[in-house]
Amino acid sequence: MTFVPKWTRPAAIVGVAALAAGCATDAPQDTTQPAGPNAQMIYDLSWPIFLIAGIVGVIVMVAIAYAIWKFRDRGQPIPEQTHGNPKLEITLTIIPALILIGVAIPTVATVMALDETDDTECIVNVTGQQWWWEMDYPVQDGCGGVSAPIVTSGQMVIPTETPVLIRGTSRDVIHSFWIPRLNGKRDMVPGRTHNLRMEADEPGIYAGQCAEFCGLSHANMRMEVVAMEPDDFEAWKATQLSEYESPAEGTLAATGEQTFITNCSRCHVIDGLTDSDGEPVISRADQQVYAGVAPNLSWFMTRNTFAGATWDLLNATCRDDVWDADPADFGERYLEGVSEECLNQVDLREWLRNSPEKKPMYADPEQLEPTDGLFRGMPYLALSEAQIDELVAYLLERK
Amino acid sequence: MITTGSKFLIGSAVLAAVAAILYGVTQDGVMGTVGLATAAVALTLLAVVNTMTRDSNVFTDDGVPLETVAAAQPSPLGGIWPFAFAASGVIIAVGLVTQQTIVVIGLAALAATGAEWIISNWADRASADRRHNASVRSRLSNPLEFPLGGAVAIGVVIFAFSRVMLWFSKVNTVIAFSILALVVLGIAFVFANRPSIKPGAIGGTAVAGAVAVVVAGTAAGLDGERDIAVFETTSLWQQEAIAHPEEYAEGAEEGKHPAGFICESAEEFPEADEKASQTVAMKSNHFQIFLLEDGTLDFDVPGPRDEGSDVITFQRSNTTNIVFRNESDEDRRLSLDMGTEDFESEDGTTRIVPVQQCTTLIEPGAAQLLTVTPPLPSNVFADSPNPNAPSGEGGFWFFVPGVSSATLELVVP
Repeated sequence: MTFVPKWTRPAAIVGVAALAAGCATDAPQDTTQPAGPNAQMIYDLSWPIFLIAGIVGVIVMVAIAYAIWKFRDRGQPIPEQTHGNPKLEITLTIIPALILIGVAIPTVATVMALDETDDTECIVNVTGQQWWWEMDYPVQDGCGGVSAPIVTSGQMVIPTETPVLIRGTSRDVIHSFWIPRLNGKRDMVPGRTHNLRMEADEPGIYAGQCAEFCGLSHANMRMEVVAMEPDDFEAWKATQLSEYESPAEGTLAATGEQTFITNCSRCHVIDGLTDSDGEPVISRADQQVYAGVAPNLSWFMTRNTFAGATWDLLNATCRDDVWDADPADFGERYLEGVSEECLNQVDLREWLRNSPEKKPMYADPEQLEPTDGLFRGMPYLALSEAQIDELVAYLLERK
Repeated sequence: MITTGSKFLIGSAVLAAVAAILYGVTQDGVMGTVGLATAAVALTLLAVVNTMTRDSNVFTDDGVPLETVAAAQPSPLGGIWPFAFAASGVIIAVGLVTQQTIVVIGLAALAATGAEWIISNWADRASADRRHNASVRSRLSNPLEFPLGGAVAIGVVIFAFSRVMLWFSKVNTVIAFSILALVVLGIAFVFANRPSIKPGAIGGTAVAGAVAVVVAGTAAGLDGERDIAVFETTSLWQQEAIAHPEEYAEGAEEGKHPAGFICESAEEFPEADEKASQTVAMKSNHFQIFLLEDGTLDFDVPGPRDEGSDVITFQRSNTTNIVFRNESDEDRRLSLDMGTEDFESEDGTTRIVPVQQCTTLIEPGAAQLLTVTPPLPSNVFADSPNPNAPSGEGGFWFFVPGVSSATLELVVP
């Protein structure tokens, strides 16, 4: 009968558990599932390098463990001490050098290929601020033509199979934009513009997260890229560029419009919104928040997320319908926007009721000395339940 | 055999483990516990390796006479480190009631003197041989002491130097340090030509020089820096015209500077527009606006050119750097008109004033940087005719004073 040491069974269990911990069925930020040519390039480079590094690492660790165990101190006499072995040392220098050269050639080639931007066909400005992302589409011939700027947040909509150029920057501190399934990370630095290519093969939603620690709610600074067929993208653009329409008089939403103007418009922009005298409502977010802007809410309910993409605007059922939609139907599902039946009322109302309690932010008016009285994040607005009802009714029409 | 070094590592691992438990029980958050537990694991690993390799000490198994073992030796003499450690504590206490910088200095001193104390104590008990112990101590601590001590000494001298330089006027600084450089050169010349000079004389001269610099720096620092004149910029001229219009107009009549706003003027303003050949430019990923030879403005942006579009788009409340390149035949500046705003005068009255920014006047072929952070969307002024736009259109506009055909619309969503 073969002798099996007692420790092998628990060691095997721990090993299997450790391996199993790396498995997940719902992993939207998985770099090993590239969904576009840029991420595919990174993946094609990373797995052979990981394999080589793994083999070298295992060899080194096994050699060290063997030497420590085999020649451990057992009170034996000290062996003869030797110094220097030119042949061995030269060999052990040349082998790693050759390995590193072998790794460097494809790495440099990939880095240069990822840095290429001349072939991009659509420009999207991505701006980070504590703790949400703004995406705006400047006036351009690219993206199928953009006749007036489009500003959105949390979700960046792009046409599939179209190389998109992201021009990234930040309004406050350094952030990092990362959609693992579409490309690598890129730091977003105040005062600088950093470029990043982005392209998705198929329609769908690709999740990401700020990858540079940026303060209190860094973990709650998320974003998603929504890829859809070019025709659906055109329909999305048309919605974003359409004229503002006030809610019908006498409705709850109409009251909500006034509530919005009174409580929200100091920071949030809704394009085309006018006051009771017909004058444009001007947001002066630069006098309220440190970043100088708050999310543009013009077409709020055409998005699926809010508050830095931390929460879904769709309830769980409707969210699954969109996320799990067949690629052929995805665009249609997404363009439906958020209906009253699908709205995630719980999180949205909690947010309106007391946003600093829901998401950590520098929103205490008595602790704003470092920013000269400017908030970082959304402050507590002391809205009544009636006002929250009005705002929800009004926002539901923003699609 | 468990050596002294192994004991030190084992003790440190136990300390880290206990600290991790205490931190986890008494404090909120897990990061402290994770850090301390990681340290405990790492120290345990080192302790195991150290024990297995007998601390790389081939002598630890050698038999030694009883009278030479460490325990039979007289206690080591007291060092300065306990005193220095306590003094560091006093510095922290002083800092707590004065300023934070002193607390930081005290903490650094506490860490340094604590490390020295630990190393000295460990080395004193490393073996029965005091000479060997001193050697062990030097081997461990000198690689830390020499670079850190040298860095601190050099830092003090440099800081003292800077205080002296900032105390003199600009001209006197040049004169004084030219003379000082000659003195240093002269002394070096003397030393170089007298090989027989005693090393102590050279060292003494260097120490005396360093002490002189530190003393002079202390005195200069206490007396304060010289007055530094504010360099006039386009922004200062623009603000002066808005804040003090009457004095500004008088200055123009007296010929001290051209009339009108600097951002609307093609003329050269004192100081701000001097040395127009000095250019500033960014190396990559910036917006560029060109004044072409035909008197029109063109632009380039990061990434593919927005072919076909005749407007340039900036993000709102975002700092955007633009390089203006003057490809015309005359000195020109690039100006940006962003509508108007209310300005409250010193007498309490409110006036509507233009919001403008501009580069200095730059010569043909040169480039200059303009940094813009528009706080408002341009459509706020869509219905307000912009005096610097073609045909009085609304919105935000780039323009070049003196070249009416050079205009470019800026769209800020």
